[in-house]
Amino acid sequence: MAITEKRGPAGAPPRARRTGPPGARRPARRHLLPWAMVAPALAALLLVQGYPLVRLLVLSTQDFGPRSLFTGQSDFVGLGNFTRIFADSDFLGVLVRTVVFTVLCVALLMVLGFLLSHLLMGVSAWARVVTTVCLVLVWAMPMVAATLVWQWMFQPQYGVANWLLTQVKVFGDLSAYDWFSHPVPALALIIVLTVWKGLPFVALTLFAARGQISESLYEAARLDGAGTLQMFRHITIPIMRPVLAILTILEVIWSVNSFTPIWVLTQGGPDGETTTLGVYAYITAFSRNQYGSGASVAVVTVVILALFSVAYVRRLSRQGEVA
Amino acid sequence: MSAPTTPTRSPARRRRTVNNTIAMAVSAVVVFPVYWMVATALKQRAHILSSVPQFFPWPMSLENFTRALDKSGFWTFVRNSLTVTLSSVVLSLAISLFAAVAIARFRFAGRKAVLTILVLVQMVPAAAMVIPVYLMLRSIGALDFVPGLVLTYMTFVLPFTIWTLRGFVEAVPVELEEAALVDGCGRLQMYVRVLLPLLMPGIVATSIFAFVNAWDDYIFAYVIMKSQSNYTLPVWLVSFKTSESVDYGAMIAASTIFSIPVLVFFLLVQRRLVGGMTSGAVKG
Repeated sequence: MAITEKRGPAGAPPRARRTGPPGARRPARRHLLPWAMVAPALAALLLVQGYPLVRLLVLSTQDFGPRSLFTGQSDFVGLGNFTRIFADSDFLGVLVRTVVFTVLCVALLMVLGFLLSHLLMGVSAWARVVTTVCLVLVWAMPMVAATLVWQWMFQPQYGVANWLLTQVKVFGDLSAYDWFSHPVPALALIIVLTVWKGLPFVALTLFAARGQISESLYEAARLDGAGTLQMFRHITIPIMRPVLAILTILEVIWSVNSFTPIWVLTQGGPDGETTTLGVYAYITAFSRNQYGSGASVAVVTVVILALFSVAYVRRLSRQGEVA
Repeated sequence: MSAPTTPTRSPARRRRTVNNTIAMAVSAVVVFPVYWMVATALKQRAHILSSVPQFFPWPMSLENFTRALDKSGFWTFVRNSLTVTLSSVVLSLAISLFAAVAIARFRFAGRKAVLTILVLVQMVPAAAMVIPVYLMLRSIGALDFVPGLVLTYMTFVLPFTIWTLRGFVEAVPVELEEAALVDGCGRLQMYVRVLLPLLMPGIVATSIFAFVNAWDDYIFAYVIMKSQSNYTLPVWLVSFKTSESVDYGAMIAASTIFSIPVLVFFLLVQRRLVGGMTSGAVKG
C-alpha cells in the first residue's frame, strides 16, 4: 500500500475532509455517478486482469497440454505441477540463476544510479543538461531496439565491441568471439544491457528525490565537520529511503520478469543456461505446450515476488521510514 | 557561501571541473549505443561489414533506410503498431480520467475497495499473465485479432494511469471547481473548462507511459499475433534477426525508425516525466 500511496503529488492533503466532494451535497446522485465513472475501468480490469489471474491459478493445478487446447478438457492434478517443477533440476537451476541475475542487476542499478545522481548534484548546469539528455535518450529507447543494437554491437566479426576490447589488449584477441554461445559471457552481457537500459530511470528518479532535500541540512552537517560518506549515511540515505525502497522493489520485479532481452539475444540458450523465470514460464507453456506447468512457474514467481515485497516493506516500516 | 574567499573557491571550482569531466565521460559511454544505432543506420553498406569499425558514418547514406522501408509489409507493420498503440492510449486515458475524477472527488461506498484493487493489480507482473491471457483470447477466438491486443495493453496500464491521474486531480484545489459552479458553470462544462486544462501535465505523462508500454511491447504481440499481416513493429524487427542472413544495416535502420518517435517524445517532456513520477515520493 505504502508503495503507491507515495506516488501522488505532495501538495494535496490526502484525507482532509475540507477537500471533500462537491457532489456530497446531492445525496441522490452521490452513489450512482462515481460508480458509473469507475465502472468501465473496473470492467476492463476484471476481464483482462481478474479473470486471467484466476485462470492462472486454476491452470496451475491442471494438466493442460496441447490436446486440452482443442478439446478444452483438462485434468485436475492438484499440486502435481508444483511438486513436479520443484523436483526438476532444470527449474532449480533457473531459480538460482534468476536470483543471481536479479541481485546483480538490482545491486548494480541502485549503486550506479545513486552515484550518478550524486554526481549530477555536483556538476555545472550545462553538464547536467547534457548528462540528463543522454540518460533520457537511453531511457526512451525501446527495449526491442536496444536489444537489437546490443546484438549488433557484440556481433562476432563486425561488432564494435569486440574490436574495441581487442584494442584495449587486456582481454586478449576477441575478434570473432561469439558472446552468445557461451553461457556466462552471454548472461553477463544481458545483465549489462539490463543495467544500462534501467540506469536512467533510477538515476533520474534519485536525482529528483535528492533535489528535494534541503541544502541547509548538508550545510549544517558540513559545519559540524561531517564528511561526504557521513552525509550519505546520516542525511541522504535516511531521507531517500522511501524512494530507494520503491525503486528496489520495482527493479526486482522487472528483473525477475525480464523477457525481451533474454529471449531476443539467446532464447534462453545455449542449452538453457541463460533462462530465467520469465523465459522459463514462456518456454514451458508455449514451446513445450505444457500450459499447466508454465502457469505453475508463473504462480511461483508471483508468490516469491509478493513475499519479497511484503517482507521488504515490513522491514522498512519497522525502521520507521515507510509508513 | 555569500562571500567566498579565493582559497576556498578554487578547490571547489577544481572539484566542479573534475565532476564535469566525469559526467561527460559517463554520458559518452551511456549514450554510445544510441549513437551507434544512428551511426550504423547512416553508413554505407561496405562500411557496416568491415573488420575495423567506422566511427563516424561518412559518406552518409540513406540506403539502409530505403532497404528497410522496401521490406515487404513494412508499412503494414507500421500501421498495425500505430493502430494498436494509439487506440490503447486513447481508450485507457478516457477510461482512467473518469475513474480518477471519481476516486479523487467523490467519497462513495466502495472507494477504498477500488483503491485496494488498483494497488493489488499493479503488483501482478504482466509477464505472468501471458499464458492465461493467451488462453482466454484463444477460447473466445480473439487470437490474431487487433482489438484483443488493444484491450490487453489498455488494461495493463490502467492501474498506473488511474493512480497517477488521481494524484493530479487531487492537486487541483476544489475551490476552483466550486468557484466555477458558483459562477453558473455546468458540471460537465466545469470539468472540460477548468479541470481538464489543469490536468494536462498529468495527461501527457500518462499518455506517454501508455504509448511506450504498447509501442515497445514484444511478448504479448509475439504470443497473440500469429499471422504476419498482424505483426507489430517489435515482432517484425525481431523476426529480421532470425532470418538466415541478417541484413544488419536494414535491421538497425528499422530499429532507428522504430525508436525515433519515442526518443522525440521523451526529450520533449523529460522534465515533467521525472517530476511526475516522483513528486511527493520524498515528502509524502
